[in-house]
Amino acid sequence: MKISGSKPDAPAVAGVLGLDQTDLYSCVACGLCLPHCPTYRVTGADTHSPRGRIALMQVLDEGKTSLTTEIVEAFDTCIQCRGCETACPGDVPFGALMEASKEVIETTDRQTPWWLKTALRTITYPRLLRFGSSAVALAQRLRLLPPAFRGIPQRMPINRQQLQSSGDDVWLFTGCVMDAWQRNTHFATQQVIEATGISVRLSGDGAPCCGALHTHAGLGRQARKLANRVVSALPGDNPVLVNSAGCGAAMKSYGTLLNTAEARAFSARVLDIHEWLAERLNSLKPSNIAEHRQPPIKKRVAVQDPCHLRHVQGTHGAVREVLQPFVSELVDLDDDGMCCGAGGAFSALQPQLAAEVRNLKIAAINRANADLVVSANPGCAMYLAAGGVDVCHPMELIAQALNDG
Amino acid sequence: MKLRRLTKRNHQNSTNNDPCAADLQATLGDQRVHTDSAARHLASTDASIFTGGAAGIVCYPSTTEQVQAIMAVAIKHDRAVLPRGAGSGLSGGAAPLGNPIVVSTTRMNRVLEVDLEDRLAWVQPGVINLDLSKQTSPFGFHFAPDPSSQQVCTIGGNVANNSGGPHCLAYGVTSSHILALEVVLSSGEIVELGGLDSEPTGYDLRGAFVGSEGMFGITTKIAVRLTPNPESVKTLMLSFDTVTDAAATVSAVIASGLVPAAIEMLDRNCVAAVESFVHAGFPTDAAAVLIIEVDGLSAGVSADATKVAEVAQTHGATVRVAANEDERALWWKGRKSAFGAIARVAPDYYLHDTVVPRSKLVEVLEAVYEIAQRYDLTMLNVFHAGDGNLHPLMAYNSRQAGANERVAAASREILELSLAVGGVLSGEHGIGVEKRDFMTDQFTSADLAQQALLRTAFDPFCRLNPGKVLPAAHSCADIATLSAAHADGVWG
Repeated sequence: MKISGSKPDAPAVAGVLGLDQTDLYSCVACGLCLPHCPTYRVTGADTHSPRGRIALMQVLDEGKTSLTTEIVEAFDTCIQCRGCETACPGDVPFGALMEASKEVIETTDRQTPWWLKTALRTITYPRLLRFGSSAVALAQRLRLLPPAFRGIPQRMPINRQQLQSSGDDVWLFTGCVMDAWQRNTHFATQQVIEATGISVRLSGDGAPCCGALHTHAGLGRQARKLANRVVSALPGDNPVLVNSAGCGAAMKSYGTLLNTAEARAFSARVLDIHEWLAERLNSLKPSNIAEHRQPPIKKRVAVQDPCHLRHVQGTHGAVREVLQPFVSELVDLDDDGMCCGAGGAFSALQPQLAAEVRNLKIAAINRANADLVVSANPGCAMYLAAGGVDVCHPMELIAQALNDG
Repeated sequence: MKLRRLTKRNHQNSTNNDPCAADLQATLGDQRVHTDSAARHLASTDASIFTGGAAGIVCYPSTTEQVQAIMAVAIKHDRAVLPRGAGSGLSGGAAPLGNPIVVSTTRMNRVLEVDLEDRLAWVQPGVINLDLSKQTSPFGFHFAPDPSSQQVCTIGGNVANNSGGPHCLAYGVTSSHILALEVVLSSGEIVELGGLDSEPTGYDLRGAFVGSEGMFGITTKIAVRLTPNPESVKTLMLSFDTVTDAAATVSAVIASGLVPAAIEMLDRNCVAAVESFVHAGFPTDAAAVLIIEVDGLSAGVSADATKVAEVAQTHGATVRVAANEDERALWWKGRKSAFGAIARVAPDYYLHDTVVPRSKLVEVLEAVYEIAQRYDLTMLNVFHAGDGNLHPLMAYNSRQAGANERVAAASREILELSLAVGGVLSGEHGIGVEKRDFMTDQFTSADLAQQALLRTAFDPFCRLNPGKVLPAAHSCADIATLSAAHADGVWG
């Protein structure tokens, strides 16, 4: 028996993975993260836990082992939901460590499958993405594609109604797949913003994609390139509103990703639509909702917190605040903000594991006994819908309430 | 140095060609038997700082029959077997010596039956402690033992270590809440210990098994007692200018005739670490903070809370009462995450666990601080003050030359001190490998010989978790099992 960790000669400088040494060894391995990790919950394997993944980063970084199939698998099965960060009493920056590790592994050893790379390239070309999406939608109608195919939603729209800027008080970031597949959410969001008396300028094709999916896949170079494009496409001082939790989280971290004063200033302007609206509920209320009236949506609505809203941005409370006046009954799920399994491209890359994680979420939704689920992230919404859950974006619900009212 | 590329299937250090692994895979299927270096490396430690051997093969059974099948293969290949829950233990109990087959219970995580009428539940050993209470809470019940790690630790692990927790002051430790156990013995035989009757006949083998640290058998089903949630709860946060005042308050509260549900102490260093995580308004300027909780019927609870506050005020305390359930939950979250929040202080920690008579708290605490100072270690104290269960927590950096040696020397002195004032080696973390070699300080050779006899009555060949608890002279058979040990873990 011995006391572990005796490494008097360990170098102070970065090791093989080039990870920040303070961050890497800030984990004391207490294990409090384990039950908050969706993959550990499903498999019970230490290789599928945050504590285990950090321990593997440590042995890789120290050069004690080369990559093995199983170490790569341990990293590939991380959804990067960052639920472990919220649970960690020691503030271990797991997300940053995982992103950096994945980038080194990706550049050492190509891991990303060709089809995902193609998809990640395509989404940065908006016209191509929209055209391709319409083609896929057509193929779906003609039953040329299986109903569930690599994370693509069923019954995608063939035609999209044109969005129009109404001024330039705030930017609305429209993004990649959300614009192509869920433009209705953008319509609803724009309508809600305008109902507060604020005009909207759409980000449009100049800022085609936030790069979050690229960061998750370890494609750091592309992610930084996209981040730069977004920063320069949305100049000025006006707020940049985002209705996709994943994109918002990524854009709020451009300051760290690009490490420039310009990027930090940009990130400071980024707001999730709900946190922005929560400050302006009053400008909606007097004209649209008389205080004495019953909430217009007479449903029991369960709030599913997207991980990058709850665990990364920490603005999930605002979703409840903005929905409260419009919904007769708002309920929380009892799973402490556990991931739904979507994880950007994760559900396409690890379909079986993702489905098992989603089963836990669906069980929690069933326990909540709700008529409808709201999710503030397009990926979660699509993935839950594919699992048979009746789900919509909070902005769609508010827009509906405004129309009905 | 650069990261070496992955070439096709690189199963480095895999034990895949181990004939025992092949038999296990044939019996359980590939998905339940992991032989790769990553899985083995991670199953080679728990939450403690102790390492010895390396996991040989890691198995993930879901049923009693699968555990029995693993035992059969282990007997055939004469291999040691080590049960493992969440790996949140602090005494190295789940850190393998030699290279045993590790049996992870994390997939045995089903609550099998809840019987509210008889106030009991049958659970599999991998059920997480807090999950059970969360599931039964809507019906007005909970599982009373609440270790600080309750959000991660498994009930099987609680049984193995006879775990305690803040509320065990009033409700008793795990043993008081275990009615019956289904156990796979090292022979492969399945037995049921204890029973659902309030007073089962015969020797209390259940009682012998609880706290046996994985050395008597592998629990596969557990009947736990469910405790009704109290009608009313009041939680007080008392802050003091000196640790001595806080310790004196603990004794005075108990002497007044009250038995609070919990009495927890956090010192200044600990409060600082915790507060920066939970932001619950812990007084960072206080030398020590006591969290005292009283529960029961509403009328009595208010009277008890008042009495506690009065006693505390005579010792100079500033008293706060949790305004609502949210605030109470936040205080407890702070208390129960203290050992992880230590990461804000230093990259490594050693969380000690000894028990001293409550009347000696003041002098022991002073001596503990003095020891820490002498060895130049950052010391935090967070512990179950009501039952004198100390948890001196040393924060250090293992990558600094000589740090491990200083920690080892300081912890030995703390142990010697505890025993000298009439205390014991461990309150709730177990002996594991951490305290094994100190057992001779508390027990005579005859005592230890009797303990070894009990152990071999359950496990004649010392197949289960060999090398733990009993010092080498009293566990001869273990040495044979360990002779094939990999001394330096999976990757050295």
